Amino acid sequence: MSERIQLSDYPRVRRIDEKKPPELRFSPQAVEELERIKQHYPTKRAAMLPALWIAQREYGGYLPPEALMEVAYRLGTSYAVVEGVASFYTMYNKRPVGRVMLEVCTNLTCSICGGYEVLRYLEQKLGIRVGETTPDGQFTLTEVECLNDCGNAPVMQVGNRYVGNLTPEKIDALLEELKQTDQHTVVQLADTVVQCHLSESDRQAIAEALAKSSVSQEVDNG
Amino acid sequence: MGELRVLFQHRDVPGIENLAVYEQHGGYSALRKALGMTRQQVIDEVKASGVRGRGGAGFPAWIKWNGIPKDERQPHYVLCNADEGEPGTFKDRELMMRLPHQLIEGMIIAGYATLAKVGYIYIRGEYTEPARAMRRAIDEAYQAGYLGKNILGSGVDFDLYIHMGAGSYECGEESAMMSSLMGERGQPRLKFPHAPLPTIAGLWDCPTLINNVETLSCVPAIIRNGGAWYASMGTEKSTGTKIFSVSGHVNKPGNYEVEMGTPLMELLELAGGVKGKLKAVIPGGSSVPILPAEKCEVNLDYESLQAAGTMLGSGGFMVLNDTVCIVRFMRRTAAFYAHESCGKCTPCREGTRWMVKIFDRILAGGGRMEDIDLLLDICDQIDGRSYCGLGDAAAWPIRASIKHYRHEYEYYIQHGHSIVEAQAQAIAV
Repeated sequence: MSERIQLSDYPRVRRIDEKKPPELRFSPQAVEELERIKQHYPTKRAAMLPALWIAQREYGGYLPPEALMEVAYRLGTSYAVVEGVASFYTMYNKRPVGRVMLEVCTNLTCSICGGYEVLRYLEQKLGIRVGETTPDGQFTLTEVECLNDCGNAPVMQVGNRYVGNLTPEKIDALLEELKQTDQHTVVQLADTVVQCHLSESDRQAIAEALAKSSVSQEVDNG
Repeated sequence: MGELRVLFQHRDVPGIENLAVYEQHGGYSALRKALGMTRQQVIDEVKASGVRGRGGAGFPAWIKWNGIPKDERQPHYVLCNADEGEPGTFKDRELMMRLPHQLIEGMIIAGYATLAKVGYIYIRGEYTEPARAMRRAIDEAYQAGYLGKNILGSGVDFDLYIHMGAGSYECGEESAMMSSLMGERGQPRLKFPHAPLPTIAGLWDCPTLINNVETLSCVPAIIRNGGAWYASMGTEKSTGTKIFSVSGHVNKPGNYEVEMGTPLMELLELAGGVKGKLKAVIPGGSSVPILPAEKCEVNLDYESLQAAGTMLGSGGFMVLNDTVCIVRFMRRTAAFYAHESCGKCTPCREGTRWMVKIFDRILAGGGRMEDIDLLLDICDQIDGRSYCGLGDAAAWPIRASIKHYRHEYEYYIQHGHSIVEAQAQAIAV
C-alpha cells in the first residue's frame, strides 16, 4: 500500500488547455453556495476545500480534470494549484466511483475487532477486490484509515453516516437496504459537507438569490 | 479518583444538544459571566485552572491564550481543532454530537479573551454526523444572539464558521491544519523557534489561538466555577479531568471521563473489564509507546505515564488481549503512518515506507534477525527529523514494541509465523 502514497494518481489521459475558457457545469445553486462560502474567509483561496466538495457533488461523485479546471476558474487560480490540493486529500475521488462507496476501517482497533473479516466478507459478497467497483457500477469497496469511532469497531462509512458493530447479518441487511434506494452516497456525502459550511443566513441568502434570478429569467423569457 | 464528569456532566440529559435544554442546565451562563470580566481576568482563570492541551501535546492552554497580542493591529482568529484522527480516539466526536453548545460557548469565551472576532472549527471530512450537530447548534446560537454582532448587548462580535477537511490525518497537526484551512495541501510549516508561534503569526499571518475540542469544551466549566475549582481536581501538574476513549478488547468500550491521576486499572474496570487476558494497553492513541500488562499499575496523568515510558496523548485508550500478535499490530501501525505521511520531510516519507517493507518481509516469512536493529535504526533516523510530530509518532510505537516484545519479533523471524498463534495451538492440543 505504501508505494502509491505520494504519487498523484490523477489520470493523464487528456491535457487541459488553460487558455480556453472551461466548460462550466456548476448549477446556479452551486455558484451561489460558493459565493457565500467565500465570504467566510479573507482570501478566495481558502474556499478551495469547500469548492472541491461542491465540484465533487456537481460532477457526480468524482473530480475529473474539467471539475478541477472549473474550480480553478471560479477561485481565480491555476489548474496546477487545484490539482495539487485535490490530489492530497483522500476523500476527493480522482476516478469515477460506484453509486455506493463502502469504506471499511481496518486501522488499529478495527484490525483486532474484525475489520479485516468485514473486508473479506464484503469482497466475497460483492465479488470484487478492495479498490474495485462492481461491474454494474453499484458498489465500490475501499479500505480506509481510522474513522475514529473505535468504540463501535468494526466500523465502516457509507455516505454521510457510519455503521458500526458490523456483523455478517448487519452487513447483509445494509446491502439490501442500499440496493433498494437510488441514493448516490458519494454525492450525498459531498452535499452534506457543503451544507455544513452554510449557516442559516447563508441558506436564506442563497434561496433569495436563486428566486431573484429565476424571476429575471421569466421576465427575459416573457 | 475515578469517574468524574465535568465535560460529560450533562451528557445523558435527553435533548442536551438543543439550546433550550442546554440553557436549562446552566448553558451560556459562563459566557455571560466572562463578558462581565476583563479579558485578562478570563485568561487568568484559565491559567489558575492549569488545564493543558487535550489534543495530545499537553501544552498549558493559558500560555497560548496569554501569548496572543493584546492589541488589535491585525485580525485575530480562534481555530478549534476538530480533526480527530488519532487512531483509538473518539472523544471529540461525542463532545460535538452530544454537547455542541458547550464547545461553542468555550469558543466564544476564547474569542472574547483573545480579541478574536472570527472562529473556525476544522472538522475532518468524515465527521459529517458531528458536523451536522455543530451546524444546528451554531444556527441556534446565532438566533439566540450568542453569536454574530454585539453578543448579548456587550459590544463583542464573534462569528463562527465550520470548515471541513477532506481526508488527511496530517491536518490534525496545527500548522498543517492552518495550511489546509487556507486552501493548500495539508503540510506542516516551519515551527518555533525557526518561525513565529501561531499565536503571533498563524492563519493569514495573523495571531491565531488553536485549541482542541476537549480543551475548549473545558472552558465554560472553568469560568463558571473558577480556575481554582478546576485545579482542585486531578494531580498537582495534571489538573482536572480527562476523557479516555476506551476501545479494543474490553466489555464496554466507550468514552469515560475520569479525574486525572486515576489508576489505569480502574479505567479498565469502568469499561467493563478486559475480554480475555490483558496483554498490553496503548493509553493515548496510536502515536504513544505501548504499555505491557505488567506495567499497567500506573496512574493516568501526564507525569505518571511519562515515567512509565509512555504518554497520555489524546486519550485514545486501546486495550489488547493475548490474542494480538504484536508484530502484525505494529505492521498496521507502520502502514498507517506511511499512508498518512504528507511527503514533505524525507526521513518521515521514506522511513515510514521502508519500515512497512521490512514488516512485510518479516510477515511473509523472509525476515532476517538484523531487521530488528534495522527497524530501530530507522526509528532513530526519523525521530526528531521532521517538521511536525508525525515522524516522531511513527517511530515511538515501533521502538517501544521492540523494546517490550523483542522475543515476538525474533520468533516470527525464526519460524515464519506468530508466537501468539503457536501458543494458542499448543493450548488447543
